[in-house]
Amino acid sequence: MAKKEYFEWTESLFDPEKTFEKPEALEGLKIVELCTLVLGPSLPAYLSELGATVFKVEIPGMGDTMRSLTPFAKFFKGAALGWLKEARNKYHLGLDVHPEDGKQVFMDLVARSDVVVENLRSGTMDRWGIGYRQLKKINPKLIYIALNGFGQWGPYMERPSYDAIAQAESGMAWISGFPDKLPMKSGIWVADLYGGLNGAVSVLAALNHRDKTGEGQFIEISQAENMVRSLDWTWLYQHFTGNGRERYGNRDVAICPSDIFQCQDEMVAIAAATDEQFKGLCQAMGKPELAEDGRFATHPARLKEENATVLLESIRTWARENNYAQIDELAGKHHFAAQKVSTNKDHFEDEHLRKRNFTYTIEDLVYGEITQEGVVPKMSETPARIKWTGRPVGFHNEYILKRVLGYSSEKIKALKDDKVIGKWVDTPLGRKPPEDWDGKSGLPLA
Amino acid sequence: MSDKDKSEKWSEWIREKDDPTKASGKPEALEGLTVLDCSNSSMSGLFASSYLAEFGAEVIRIEPPEGDPAREFSPWGYMHMGTGLGYLNEGRNKYHVTLNLKEPAGQQAFKTLAKRADVIIETFLPGTMDEWGIGYRQLSVDNPKLIYCALYTYGQFGPKASCGKADVDVVNQAYSGVTAVSGEPQNGAEPSPSEVPTKAGNWMGWYAGGAWAGLAIMAATHFRHLKGKGQFIDISPAEAFGRNINYGITYWQAFQQTLPRVGNLDVGIFPYTFFKCKDGYAFLAGFADINWKAFCTIIERLDLRERYPTVFDRLNLDNMKVMYKEIEKWTLARTYDEIFEAVMEYNRTIGVGVVVPGKLCSPKDAMGTHNWWERGVLIKQNDPHYGELTIANMPHKMTGSPPRVKWVCRPVGADNDYIFNKKLAWGPTKLKEMKEQGII
Repeated sequence: MAKKEYFEWTESLFDPEKTFEKPEALEGLKIVELCTLVLGPSLPAYLSELGATVFKVEIPGMGDTMRSLTPFAKFFKGAALGWLKEARNKYHLGLDVHPEDGKQVFMDLVARSDVVVENLRSGTMDRWGIGYRQLKKINPKLIYIALNGFGQWGPYMERPSYDAIAQAESGMAWISGFPDKLPMKSGIWVADLYGGLNGAVSVLAALNHRDKTGEGQFIEISQAENMVRSLDWTWLYQHFTGNGRERYGNRDVAICPSDIFQCQDEMVAIAAATDEQFKGLCQAMGKPELAEDGRFATHPARLKEENATVLLESIRTWARENNYAQIDELAGKHHFAAQKVSTNKDHFEDEHLRKRNFTYTIEDLVYGEITQEGVVPKMSETPARIKWTGRPVGFHNEYILKRVLGYSSEKIKALKDDKVIGKWVDTPLGRKPPEDWDGKSGLPLA
Repeated sequence: MSDKDKSEKWSEWIREKDDPTKASGKPEALEGLTVLDCSNSSMSGLFASSYLAEFGAEVIRIEPPEGDPAREFSPWGYMHMGTGLGYLNEGRNKYHVTLNLKEPAGQQAFKTLAKRADVIIETFLPGTMDEWGIGYRQLSVDNPKLIYCALYTYGQFGPKASCGKADVDVVNQAYSGVTAVSGEPQNGAEPSPSEVPTKAGNWMGWYAGGAWAGLAIMAATHFRHLKGKGQFIDISPAEAFGRNINYGITYWQAFQQTLPRVGNLDVGIFPYTFFKCKDGYAFLAGFADINWKAFCTIIERLDLRERYPTVFDRLNLDNMKVMYKEIEKWTLARTYDEIFEAVMEYNRTIGVGVVVPGKLCSPKDAMGTHNWWERGVLIKQNDPHYGELTIANMPHKMTGSPPRVKWVCRPVGADNDYIFNKKLAWGPTKLKEMKEQGII
């Protein structure tokens, strides 16, 4: 039972219970975030899970607009769900960078940090005197990443953008959804959250470069361009055939079979990407002869429109006659792919995802017990982790100014009196601490 | 900063320094890193190694002698010189060798390569490489600095890790939770064929997995630089895409409700959707109070602002439908260009609040859009083997160590001679022998 032993070993190697005994991959890396909404803030959130220290700079009072993003305006303990998930592990500084004193605080922070992340329109930070050109003078090793809709230069650089525009203008929305219906926007802010992810990869590429050379650099990412890169075979297909890529519902026209089917009790994705997997599926269906049939024996044959249609129809019929438990078991036995379409309830209840810290519960000092989408990479030496979820605007002001920057109490008071730094407002919702907060829990140096 | 710098417009200054057409000749972020990519029938492993290769690593693609089944992933089976388009797109900068990892001689050769490799990527069912004696457990004994990344829908541990089911993009999308909240809602008692949870058209689950693998591998190389230790990385592409969800699990915890599918609407923002216009569809957004006021001003419907003054009013699904119809009256009377101009004119001249316009484009439109070519996002590459191709460049523009595409792909085993000679000193006799034995 080599396999059994393998899983015992991996269970122990990756055991989430041991997370806090182990170091963090990005320990010591300091990131200053001057971002709003989702594209920018998601990037430091990802890196914070790997151990980076993130200082999130927000306008005093209202803070990040993202603090309003929550489904049907329903808040969890006064916090917006769309914000909470991307605010984890961050230190929150309520700082206005417009006045000179505010710029100085920002620059003091950048001087002691490794990475700056901003998502303003091209040239805004430069105009404010705190752009890359100015900051690299005070911190030559700085890695500076600017994320926005269309980049720092070029015909579209003046255009504002949101996630859905990146989905729309890259062509991604066009190729999603059903042929006889409108192009479909994803149900998530995919260009934001996947854009931030790809931005994070380039920050780490730059960090690897800095490890070797000591040199920092400037990076730009456009949300829409990021989606253009993710559209797999689209551009080659159009290059060779001159045809446009359209949308094909849940069917994958480059892998066959691959579709989402209705079984007795669930919608279930079923696929076979190799001949071996396909043979397994045919056996599971009780039709091993299909794998020998000339129309389906090879993948290129299965992909032909006329063959694919017949094949998918027979799987559709089979799926309708079975429930998910049956299909799931057969897929494991015969090594093809099958997975029911999972909801947030499924994720909440999934023991597998809980064991893996994807469904991740923490007891937060401010928000109490909270369960979220957790960490993706399971790393044997440097496991990713959540320490706290988001904090109210300006929650860490004193901590950052005293502990990190070493400002005197007098100086901090002056900044407060001049409204250069500040904390939350009570309205709109999403800025202040929860009602049951005791006024000190979670406050470092309180 | 020189005087020239001070006077120079930011956009011009930065373009001079990060235009991707100037990437060649600059240093590469991952120069000197050696990667063995044993991905099998998985675009997530291939995308992860594309990341590393585009940032300068020496990536050796290891395929079985008959080629990776992923070479057959292609729309309707379209092949270009024997390779499918999905694979062709992710062969970038990689050396392509073949090695039969099921045979002892192939395993032995792999072990030797792995002793001096920095990173291994694989996508087999968990435990497969381990059973062959070439998993992390065995390889890390001789090479403790090794970073080993395995990608699989259900990961390397946890109750489902041993389930035996295959990893294909669509199951990653289905398990991620994103599919359940994407697509048209069901209107009648029976769903029409399109009123179902709907996946993203591209291989979004696999690509998210590949991007997270790239991120984790680079975090591990940084850690190794500091501490001298390698490690084992376990990535589930389903979790990778699931991490990109807006919100889900906490919503269940707080309200015991699943999130509904709302088609092209958004449960957290309105207006934030596509509106039909004379010649297509325009995306328009103006959600926060100040932006909503700007929106209503532009479409000359301040009455809508009176009726739906707060975000709470605007996030009611029934209200959304009413507002949608009213806004569409304005868009239907205009072309996309007229809408774009009216909105941008407001942003330029009045500028209190901001309304954001965009165009719903087909990939065909996108390929004809000057901006992407000007920015080096879409590029034509003359590949030494596959000829002229149009591909998307990596989206990162970097001043110091930018990514770049040197070649697009290589045929199965094309680099066997070069790599096995360089790494294992195999000469013509040995190469011939290994070929005859079906090892390469």
